[in-house]
Amino acid sequence: MLKKTIAVIRREFVERVRTKAFIIGTVLGPIFFGAMAIIPGLLLSRGSVGQRVVVVDGTANEFGRRIEEVLQAAKSGSGPNAKPVYSPLRLAAGARVQDVIDSLVPMTGLSKKDPAAVDGLLIVDEGSVTTGKLRYYGKNVGSMEDMRQLRSSLTPLMIAERLRSVGVDPAVAMRAAAPIDLDTRKIADGKLTAESGMSTFVLAYAMGVILYMALVLYGTQVMTSVIEEKSNRIVEVLVSSLTPFQMMLGKVIGVGLVSLLQLGIWAGAFLFLQQNQAKILGMFGAAGGEGGVASILPSMDPWLIVVFLGFFVLGFLFYSSAYAAIGSMCNTVQEAQQLQTPVMVMTLTGWFSAFALLRDPTSSFAKVASLIPPLAPFVVPVRYSIARIPLPELLLYVATMIGGLLVIVWFTARIYRVGILMYGKRASFKDIFRWIRAS
Amino acid sequence: MAETVVAVNGVTKRFAGHTAVRDLTLSVPKGGIFGLLGPNGAGKSTTIRMIMNIILPDEGTIALFGSAVGGRALSERIGFLPEERGLYKKMKVVDQLIFLAETKGLSRSVARVKAIQWLKQLELDDWTNRKVEDLSKGMQQKVQFISTLLHEPELVILDEPFSGLDPVNSQVMREVVVEVARSGRTVLFSTHIMEQAEQMCDRIAIIAHGAKVVDGALADIKREFGGRHVAITFTRNGDAARPILSDPTLVQRIDDRGATAELELAPGANPDVLLRALVNSDVGLSRFEVAEASLQSIFIAKVGAEGARATAVTGEN
Repeated sequence: MLKKTIAVIRREFVERVRTKAFIIGTVLGPIFFGAMAIIPGLLLSRGSVGQRVVVVDGTANEFGRRIEEVLQAAKSGSGPNAKPVYSPLRLAAGARVQDVIDSLVPMTGLSKKDPAAVDGLLIVDEGSVTTGKLRYYGKNVGSMEDMRQLRSSLTPLMIAERLRSVGVDPAVAMRAAAPIDLDTRKIADGKLTAESGMSTFVLAYAMGVILYMALVLYGTQVMTSVIEEKSNRIVEVLVSSLTPFQMMLGKVIGVGLVSLLQLGIWAGAFLFLQQNQAKILGMFGAAGGEGGVASILPSMDPWLIVVFLGFFVLGFLFYSSAYAAIGSMCNTVQEAQQLQTPVMVMTLTGWFSAFALLRDPTSSFAKVASLIPPLAPFVVPVRYSIARIPLPELLLYVATMIGGLLVIVWFTARIYRVGILMYGKRASFKDIFRWIRAS
Repeated sequence: MAETVVAVNGVTKRFAGHTAVRDLTLSVPKGGIFGLLGPNGAGKSTTIRMIMNIILPDEGTIALFGSAVGGRALSERIGFLPEERGLYKKMKVVDQLIFLAETKGLSRSVARVKAIQWLKQLELDDWTNRKVEDLSKGMQQKVQFISTLLHEPELVILDEPFSGLDPVNSQVMREVVVEVARSGRTVLFSTHIMEQAEQMCDRIAIIAHGAKVVDGALADIKREFGGRHVAITFTRNGDAARPILSDPTLVQRIDDRGATAELELAPGANPDVLLRALVNSDVGLSRFEVAEASLQSIFIAKVGAEGARATAVTGEN
């Protein structure tokens, strides 16, 4: 008996792992994680460097010169990788500001390679300090990052200048105005972790996404493969030597192992990327380490992985037996699309519940949702990633989940047993009720 | 009396709206080839599916090898070819055969050796590692046929095994089936093509409307049907023969197939008179044989062309 089930599991596993879809999906996963780790890092430090900015100085005081100094000092990134953002040039224009602008505008159109080319003009005049008005004419005014950089380079200078004009020592004022640096670190199990608030959220979110996608994708695979066996009519041959339960169990476990293999490969890639994040970011020329791009890939502790995989397996068995039953009721994938709506609603509810509790993982809503078997596979791992759940409570959730699983397997196995041999019209809910009652 | 391998006892199966099989009793003895004959929709496939324990009878019992545990529990000893052929299209031929043998309880290593042997025997060895979907329909049928016989079952149940095969492949399969029966194993197969059954079967059962019409050894059935039969093959001018053949003093019943005809002589009629009449009206003949009734004419006589058609319309077998 067991030998035959193993034969079915092996077939499902081997045939699936050999497909191009599996290989592509498995490779694309880590690339996706890699992109997640690298792209934000690149985006954050992507302002252009070495911009040739001409400071058109229409003032008679030192303000223009100080602007030049500030621009000179502005660096992109930190540490040894840092590069100067500007290569500024100050022109004292006096009263002939407009003439200087007119003569420089054509030069901003020149190609980068031309030594006379200019990227932008920063125009400073007598009123600038009091009105706070500076003019910038350039090619890159559309770049939010460049403009933000310019604004943040000049703001402290402007404040200092105004303070100086009313007789306050800017150095004192700057010290007073220093912003609060709130360093958030998560405490889990009474221990201080290296996780920041942001990465906790990212982790919870990513787990929700992966759970949802994996359960729906692999569940649908179970469903389509049941329909395929039906439309191939191979089911007649199988059912003459296998019990429907062996067929269903073999299929669900086979596909489940494929999903675990894929998730395992992804998890391995994730851990590798996480540990080598700084190195990889460095390779792409982005700044890493302290003060630069903080850990974007969050750390996962082993217990969280256990809870995640445990509930993934339970949730997979739960949903894929439902999908198998739906597949058995249909003759085409199109028919199944309509019938799977209730399951879709369940998975979506689970997914939204998981996000609803991100704000308050210890609310009574979160606790109730953890007790409902269709929702628990989403809710419990996400909750656990934010705040550790005490062991007795966790065991209770596992117990209710297993209870729910047994109930659904009992129902779906009955539907499957009759459904796989039904051809012709799609089963109605009345039929299904009859199948369940028939022993 | 030889051991009974398949015993169907008073079995009835109803589907919504109609009765597919009605109080059917069959007994298939060990060894030889048993033909389950009937028009389309007569209930042949339903009967076979009940024997295989794929569907359950509403009434009656079925025993295989004298045991009522059901076909699935005995699947090691049974080879089954369903009417609706099906294979996993994306699987390699050899993997497919190994998997199906595993579901019959064979170990992988034994299954592999036998699969390769069989593929060689049926000249499919070039296709061993190809996907099933790359094979022609006929080759797929052969693969499925192999999967039915690979585990050397004592009982082979084939539902319309030769349908959709070209004459060459059909001949190959027939030889294999005959070989299986010769080795002392039992073959039960269904067909609606009488010539096949006539050539191969030791015993037959004819069913129509889900009920048994006749069963027994083929020779006994023919003897019992009795009558003096004449088989005629025309070479030309067949139309001129029709008025003679419709003479009730000579011919009691006729099964006219165009170029050939089979008829039962009227009581007291002399075949010589018939032959002379045909020759005199310038009918070209290549065959004029006084013989036993063919299975075809027995079938038509027992079931009736009318009855066959009626079930085929309402029936789902």
